[in-house]
Amino acid sequence: MADFYQSGVIVTLHKLGRPSLEKIESEIFEFSKQRPIALVLPALYAEFKADALKGIVEELKKVKYINEIVLSLGRATDDEFKKAKEFMSVLPHDVKIIHNEGKRVKEIYATLERNGLQPGEDGKGRSTWMAYGYVIANGKSDVIALHDCDIVTYNREMLARLCYPVVNPNIDVAFCKGYYSRITDRMHGRVTRLLITPLVRSLQKLVGFHPFLVFLDSFRYSLAGEFCMVTDLARVMRIPWDWGLEVGVLAEVFRNYSARRVCQVDIADNYEHKHQPLSAEDAQKGLMRMCVDISKSIFRILAAEGIVFSDSLFKSLEVAYMRQAEDTMLKYEADAAINSLVFDRHEEAKAVEAFANAIKQAAQIFIENPMGTPLIPNWNRVGSAIPGIFDMLKKAVEEDNK
Amino acid sequence: MDNFINLLFQPFRNFWASLAAFLPNLFAMLLIILSGFLIAWLARKLFLRLFTAINFDVWCDKAGLTAIIRKGDIWTRPSDFFGRIIYLIFIIIFLMIGLSALRLPTIGNLTSQFFLYMPRALSALFILIIGYIIAGFVARGILIAAVNSGYHYAKLLAEAVRVLLIVLILAMALEQFGIAPGVVIAAFSIIFGGIVLSLAIAFGVGGIDTAKRIIEKRLEEKKEEKGNIEHL
Repeated sequence: MADFYQSGVIVTLHKLGRPSLEKIESEIFEFSKQRPIALVLPALYAEFKADALKGIVEELKKVKYINEIVLSLGRATDDEFKKAKEFMSVLPHDVKIIHNEGKRVKEIYATLERNGLQPGEDGKGRSTWMAYGYVIANGKSDVIALHDCDIVTYNREMLARLCYPVVNPNIDVAFCKGYYSRITDRMHGRVTRLLITPLVRSLQKLVGFHPFLVFLDSFRYSLAGEFCMVTDLARVMRIPWDWGLEVGVLAEVFRNYSARRVCQVDIADNYEHKHQPLSAEDAQKGLMRMCVDISKSIFRILAAEGIVFSDSLFKSLEVAYMRQAEDTMLKYEADAAINSLVFDRHEEAKAVEAFANAIKQAAQIFIENPMGTPLIPNWNRVGSAIPGIFDMLKKAVEEDNK
Repeated sequence: MDNFINLLFQPFRNFWASLAAFLPNLFAMLLIILSGFLIAWLARKLFLRLFTAINFDVWCDKAGLTAIIRKGDIWTRPSDFFGRIIYLIFIIIFLMIGLSALRLPTIGNLTSQFFLYMPRALSALFILIIGYIIAGFVARGILIAAVNSGYHYAKLLAEAVRVLLIVLILAMALEQFGIAPGVVIAAFSIIFGGIVLSLAIAFGVGGIDTAKRIIEKRLEEKKEEKGNIEHL
């Protein structure tokens, strides 16, 4: 059972005792009449062949409070899109699938590009951004919940706990992020454990107190892909389309809302999804690519907050990170031992070395081009640049789903 | 006997003479239509280049024309769409010119009517496009002004104005097209008049007190003005 300690600047909602799912769901059902909820699911067609999505759909069938489900489908042909539609048709909700590779949505991307608005490359960032656009265009939901489609251990309690703080007007939270432990016979979540936390704490040591670093460090699982937010946030949010997405979202939340209106919630006792290979030799693949993108994103956000990055700061950061990561590793080794979990210290140390290398590469890229990967523009700007874009997007999705 | 043979072959001779007289017309028609296809293709290419040079697609996006095209489930670039329309217009024009080369009285009437109708159709199309842009512009202006003044039903007001303007533009365009002008004018007068009358009644009934206050205030101001010392 979890403790009830409140750490950091944001609100932490723990899972204490055995809360009644039925009670939470019935409350959300009532609240959702005032604040309708849209569930956004970013998915690749490959995920329709895996068991995880079948389990998610089975669980979602039992959920009554969702107003609409928007599945943003990537890497799918027209035939595969039809199969995906058929697959999702068992749900009793209003389900819309955004066919990102279809001619209509592709034309929307082309419209954005010719107007100087870069939606970025194909990926989760762009897919979710497009789904937010559809939710805004549809105008039927005040709250957006999002989770991945590869969660093997999915149950509807995750969704209920994720939505509850945002739909409940008495809590009045604008953004809620899920957290959980990722354990099988060993601990997973290497990027969060061995990159994000040590990197953020090393930066705190080097640059001193900074509200954003404190904010980022307050999240127990900053890379969790599950969150819930008010639709207004989706209008003003500028997010990166690469792996820096999760950190980018947190930066936008930090920029737009007070920490008092941000929370994290324990959504699952355990969480399992697909694991990425480390690929320490190739920075363009696997966890290495992820780490480079995340580090770049953090540097960029901090630079935007007024922190000056120099060669010497980056050199000190490399050393500070290594020390911090080694100390963290020792803590996790002890944690694994007391919980009878396998702990491969060599593998963890290899990961730390690879991550240090990723930070170095990210620093180099940042120095060469501080603006780096452009962020996807927010929907308010898009609506201002192309007045009919929401009508076009709605029409595209509705025609595709006919 | 000669008479009989003449009688027998005269229709054939007549037919041959008619055919000989008609064939050049037919060839002329085919040639005109074929060259029409070529000219239409060239015109389309030329216009596409021109559209690219003037950033026509971006202009359409901003003016809301792309959104109108998309409403018809057309998902090509606006320049492609208008390029095709230009191509079709050229084809139709050359088809009509080609048909007139046949020198058949019925087709001659049809083509002359078509060319008489062309300017009206083009001006109607022009009214539709420009009118839609102006309606969008005015509606946006009203939306911004109403939102900035804290008006609760800003979106509703802007949409209502947009719908009113579109009704007006449609009536103007249909009148130009010459499609049942009497019915269009009557229908427009009834719809537009009805809307304005209902708005006037709604304002009159709902705003009796406000109107009374405004009039009373004005009268009081006038009285005060009269009481003031008038300087020479």
